[in-house]
Amino acid sequence: MDAAISGNLIDLCVVAMLLLSMLAMTTTRIAQLLNAFAVQSLFLTFLALVVADSTGHTELFILGGITFAVKVIGIPWAMRRISVRLHAGREVDSTMGIPGSLLICTILIIVAYLVTEPLMATLETITRNCLAMSMSVILIGLFMMVTRRKAMAEAVGLLMMENGLFLGVISISYGMPLVVEIGIFFDVLMVSAIIGIFALRISKAFDSIDTSVLRRLKE
Amino acid sequence: MTIPVEGILLIPVAAALLSAVSPNSRTASAVSIMGSAAVLAVSIPICMAAFGGTVTEYGLWYVDGLSSVFILIIGVVGLMSSMYSYGYLSHDEEHGEIGSKDIRQYHIMFNMFIAAMLSIFVVSSVGIMWIAIEITTLVSAFLVGFYRRNSALEATWKYLMICSVGITLGLVGITLMYASASHILGGDPGALDWPVLFGAAADLDPMLIKMAFIFIIIGFGTKMGLVPMHTWLPDAHSQSPTPVSALLSAALLNCALYAILRFQMIADVTVPGFASVLMIGFGMLSLAVAGAFILISKDIKRMLAYSSIEHMGIIAIGFGIGSPLAVFGALFHIIAHSVTKPLLFFSAGNVIQGYGTRDMGDVRGLRKSMPATAFMLGAGTLAIVGLPPFSVFVGEITVLAGAVDAGMYPVAVLTAAFLVLVFAGFTRNIFPMMKGEPEGEVKAPRGVLRMLPMATLLLITLFLGLFMPEIMSDALWSIADWFTGAT
Repeated sequence: MDAAISGNLIDLCVVAMLLLSMLAMTTTRIAQLLNAFAVQSLFLTFLALVVADSTGHTELFILGGITFAVKVIGIPWAMRRISVRLHAGREVDSTMGIPGSLLICTILIIVAYLVTEPLMATLETITRNCLAMSMSVILIGLFMMVTRRKAMAEAVGLLMMENGLFLGVISISYGMPLVVEIGIFFDVLMVSAIIGIFALRISKAFDSIDTSVLRRLKE
Repeated sequence: MTIPVEGILLIPVAAALLSAVSPNSRTASAVSIMGSAAVLAVSIPICMAAFGGTVTEYGLWYVDGLSSVFILIIGVVGLMSSMYSYGYLSHDEEHGEIGSKDIRQYHIMFNMFIAAMLSIFVVSSVGIMWIAIEITTLVSAFLVGFYRRNSALEATWKYLMICSVGITLGLVGITLMYASASHILGGDPGALDWPVLFGAAADLDPMLIKMAFIFIIIGFGTKMGLVPMHTWLPDAHSQSPTPVSALLSAALLNCALYAILRFQMIADVTVPGFASVLMIGFGMLSLAVAGAFILISKDIKRMLAYSSIEHMGIIAIGFGIGSPLAVFGALFHIIAHSVTKPLLFFSAGNVIQGYGTRDMGDVRGLRKSMPATAFMLGAGTLAIVGLPPFSVFVGEITVLAGAVDAGMYPVAVLTAAFLVLVFAGFTRNIFPMMKGEPEGEVKAPRGVLRMLPMATLLLITLFLGLFMPEIMSDALWSIADWFTGAT
């Protein structure tokens, strides 16, 4: 593939991932949130494929394949089923309004650029500009976990953080050794399974998956 | 005959499988105890060889002196905890709180938890180490949520969420380190192996390593219980079954500490002094906040959990000071804390089961109702606050001496002041429980398998405080010299 085209495709995927993170911050429905996550993972898959093709790091094809199977298909499907079983309500409550959240997202993106600027100079990969985007996606995911009240939305925040992390792994070093990467994927799968189990238990015990009921343990 | 490293990992996995097929809860408990004893027995030759300077390194595995200290701790604490589990869970079963199926599940998870923790210390790739640390969170989540009470669920949810975020940030740090290393080592697939990283440390990019270490200390520090990322810890420790609390405190926190130490060694070579500031800073903050919370705690297990944060703080300060003396003290303190804290948790477990409450204000007349437990709790309290002749005293005084020796007087003075605060908190909370008359009926728990681990731990902490065996001091000194680059 032409270097310019692959460069453009990489930029497209990365920008799309960041925009989807911001979109996820504005949604008020679980189903939309899961869609945003699935589409974001789809762009991550594309990114892995484009980078694999243009740099010759063939193990990234495998990484892309696993991402597609686990994050685009598997996890969103399972979480949709759980949320139907929980009658999770369609609303995603947040402790902060949408305009305020978006404002903070913008600040987080600026912070991510400031933090990663000195690092970008030291790297030589073609994708190094993605580092700031990757950090932004991680920070926005963290922000989502902090502000959302529903168990499902917190879990999606964690998964989006992980998407940002993989974006970072691909962009600064064309992926880690394959054993480690497969292990990490296996791990993501386990985390979501176990979070699903506990979300079910919480909804049974408290009659709600609103995690603001989980505020009783203190001194 | 030497048993390879795989043996250490296979035993707990086999024990987990055997407890899954055990006909009753008694057999499952026996399997856990024998499995833990076997792990300890098998790891001793490998660890002794490592202390003697022979590094076991082949395939995926890497065991040196530093990892051996932690492996032996897991062995001892695992064995004590599996013994105590038997009496503790039988008591709950008799009172109808749990069924024998729950006990079997408990033992499966218990052994998997041990296996996951051990694998952290024997692998050479930091990537796989990360995976193993994450697996410890996932497995132990089931143990923390063992009692399906609402409060236990809340603790589990916090534990899962906060530690998963922490560990994700830790992975960002590992990625940055890998980026720097793969830049130098080219496409070497071993660029994530710790010995390779450590060997190349001098050539790594200082900017990347600084950034990486910040992410690593925040990420793994979450799991280690450093303030302000500690908020999951008191909840998880107080809500889980008592033998699990002991394991969390004396074994799990060490796992994250170990990961931080490995990266600190790399960072100390690449950017000398950078990691020290962060370690001392987080350590001081942990010590201060934990001290304050110990003073105002009402729940006995929460107080012990804050005490773990405090000791992790002291250990972080010791490694942060970075002189051989301070590092020696910190290494010794890891061992001292890991043998003393389970003693306190086990005593607390007896009190909680006897009185049916965790509130220290509601417990009176302990000396009359449970004299043996009262003795253990009293002795354990004196040991954990760092009074001579117990081992924690030796650890603390060596770290303090290290701080003075390195000219860090403010660090030494503040640490000493916070230790006084902790002393006040513990005596104020624990000793009033001994006096007076017990109100209402006390179901004093009995059993050899309860008292045996407590007596053993008390003897170990007393013994280590009085005499340090030469083999141990030699081993710790050589690790300390190696850690600080003195050799």
